[in-house]
Amino acid sequence: MFSKILVANRAEIALRIIRSARELGIKTVAVYSESDRTSLHAILADEKICIGPGRASDSYLNVANILSAAEITQADAIHPGYGFLAENPRFAEICEASGITFIGPPAPLIKLMGNKNEARQEMRMARVPIILGSDMIIDTLPEAKKIAKKMGYPIILKAAAGGGGRGMRIARSPSQLDEQFAMAQNEAKAAFNDASLYIEKYLPNARHIEIQVVADKKGNVVALGERECSIQRKHQKFIEETPSPFVDERLRGKMLKAAEDATRHIGYESLGTFEFLVDEKGKFYFMEANTRVQVEHPITEEAYGLDLIKEQIRIAAGEKLSIPDGLRMRGHTIECRINAEDPATFAPSPGKIDFLVFPGGPGIRVDSAAYQGWRIPSDYDSLVAKIVAHAPKRLLAIKKMQAALEMTAIVGIKTNLPLHLAILADSDFINGDYDTQFMERFLAKNGPPK
Amino acid sequence: MSSKIDYEEIAKLISFLEEKKLAHFELEVEGFKIKITRAVPSAPAVEAVPVPGPQSRPKPENSPRLPEVQPQVSGDTLRFITSPMVGTFYRASDPNSPPFVEVGDDVKKSQTLCIIEAMKLMNEIESDVEGIVTEIFVENGKPVEYGQRLFAIQPVA
Repeated sequence: MFSKILVANRAEIALRIIRSARELGIKTVAVYSESDRTSLHAILADEKICIGPGRASDSYLNVANILSAAEITQADAIHPGYGFLAENPRFAEICEASGITFIGPPAPLIKLMGNKNEARQEMRMARVPIILGSDMIIDTLPEAKKIAKKMGYPIILKAAAGGGGRGMRIARSPSQLDEQFAMAQNEAKAAFNDASLYIEKYLPNARHIEIQVVADKKGNVVALGERECSIQRKHQKFIEETPSPFVDERLRGKMLKAAEDATRHIGYESLGTFEFLVDEKGKFYFMEANTRVQVEHPITEEAYGLDLIKEQIRIAAGEKLSIPDGLRMRGHTIECRINAEDPATFAPSPGKIDFLVFPGGPGIRVDSAAYQGWRIPSDYDSLVAKIVAHAPKRLLAIKKMQAALEMTAIVGIKTNLPLHLAILADSDFINGDYDTQFMERFLAKNGPPK
Repeated sequence: MSSKIDYEEIAKLISFLEEKKLAHFELEVEGFKIKITRAVPSAPAVEAVPVPGPQSRPKPENSPRLPEVQPQVSGDTLRFITSPMVGTFYRASDPNSPPFVEVGDDVKKSQTLCIIEAMKLMNEIESDVEGIVTEIFVENGKPVEYGQRLFAIQPVA
C-alpha cells in the first residue's frame, strides 16, 4: 500500500480523497494555488505545497510543479480527482515514468477513451450499442451536411477530444448546421486544442443514464447499478439519482452486462463510468466513457454502502477488487449539486460565505469544502456542495432532500438552492417523468425561481 | 556613531524610522548590533457584513491549523526574490562549491542567487535587482514551494 498520496486537485473532491486516504492510514499532500491558500483541502492535508498562481493552467494543470511537489514530499502516488489532469494520458505517463503511481487507469486506456470517436469504434467491437454516427472526423460543412441529411435531423456535433459535457452543439435543420458547424469547431479548438468534430444522431427525448464499473489489475470486474443524470442544463448535471425511475430490472441487467463486457473488452482497470443515452423504448446507446471518479459517485456509494475512492486506491496499489459480485443496491438516493451561481441567470457568484449551515440527520450526506468565512475563488468551477439524501423509497428520498435543502443556509453568495427546491416540487419530477430536455422545459414553463 | 547607544538614541532612531516609513532597519558597529522591524498596519477588512447567529463562537479544542500567511511587509524598498517553481533549493552549484551569495553581499542584476532543482533540472534563479542581500530565508537543500520567499535584497539606487 502507498505511504503518501499527493492529491492533484482542489475543493470537495480533494477533501473526499484526503478523507479516504486518512482512513486507510495513508498520509496526504495537498497542492494548492495562491487563490486556494485558505481552502480546506490545503488546511486538512498532512502537508501542503503551493504550486502556482490562481489560474489553473499555471497551478492545477502545471505538471512540472505537481511532480516536483510529489518529489520533494516523497509521495508515492498521485490521485488526480476529476477534471484538471484526471483524463490527461500524458500526465499519467509522466507519473509512471517518474516512479509515482497514477491512481487511475494506465495512460493508453485514458487515451483510447479520451478520443470520443475512437471510443465509439471500440465499443462497436465490444458489441455495445452505439448511436448512429459519422464514424469519422468531419472537417468541412458540406461533408457534415451530406451526413446529416442521410442520418436525419436533429443531429449533434461533438468534439472528438471533448468530455465533461463541453464541445457539443445541436442542429435541428440544415440552416442551424450552417450556423453551428464553424462555431463548434472553434469551441473544440479553444477548449481541447483539437478542432476535430464528429456527428451523431441526436435523441431529444432520451435519458442520460450511466453505469459505474470497478476493475482491478487481475481482470476482476464489477458493474454497479445506474445513475440517472437526465436533470441537466447545457450538458451540466444538476440532480442525479439511483435507481433511475425509468429503469426496470430487465433493462438494468442489460446495461450492467454491456458495461461489464465493454470493461473486459478493453482490459480496463480502476474506476470508470459508461454513459448511455436511453430512448423512450428502453433502447440504450453508448455515449462516452469517463476514466476517472465521477462528481456524482456518492449516490452509488450510498446505494451500495461502498467507498469507491478507497477501492480505487487499493486497486492502484495492486490489491484485488473487494466488492462482492451480485451486491445489490438499497433504497433510493438523490444528489443535488449546489453551485455558487445565480439561480435565475446562472451567472457564477464567487465571494465570501458569511454564514453557513449544512443539513444533517439520518440519510443525509454532504460532500463540500465550504466553510463559514471562506471566500470562494473566482478561478474555478462553482460547485459548493453535493447534498445527498438516502431513504428506503424514492418519494421518501425526495421528501428528505426537500427538508434538507430547506434547512440549508448559505449566506453571502447566490446559490441554486431555490431552483433545486422548485424542481423537487415539480409534478413531472416527482412522477419520475423526465428526460434530458426537462430543465429546458421547466425553465421555459416556470421562469426563474422566486 | 559611538559604540554605546542609549535608550534615547534608540527612541530617536525609531521615530526616524516611523517618519521615513521604513519597515526594516539593521545596524552593526563593533560589538553592537541592532535590528528594528516595524509592524506595518494590515489592510482594513474590505467588507463588514453582519453575520446572523452568535457573534463569538468558542474555539474548538483541535482546530485545524490555519494556513500561515506570509506577513505583508511592504518594506518600501526591500525586494523579495520568490521561487518561480516547486523544487529543492540549493545555495551553491555543487556541494563542494561556496554559496553563490551570502548575507551582506552585493549582487548585480541577473546575477545567479541560487539553484532550484525541479524535475532533475537545475534552474538558476537570478536577481532582478542590483543591491545588497539582507536575508536568506531558506536553508540549503530544503524544499520550496511556488511563491516562497528566498532572498531579501536592499536595492541600491
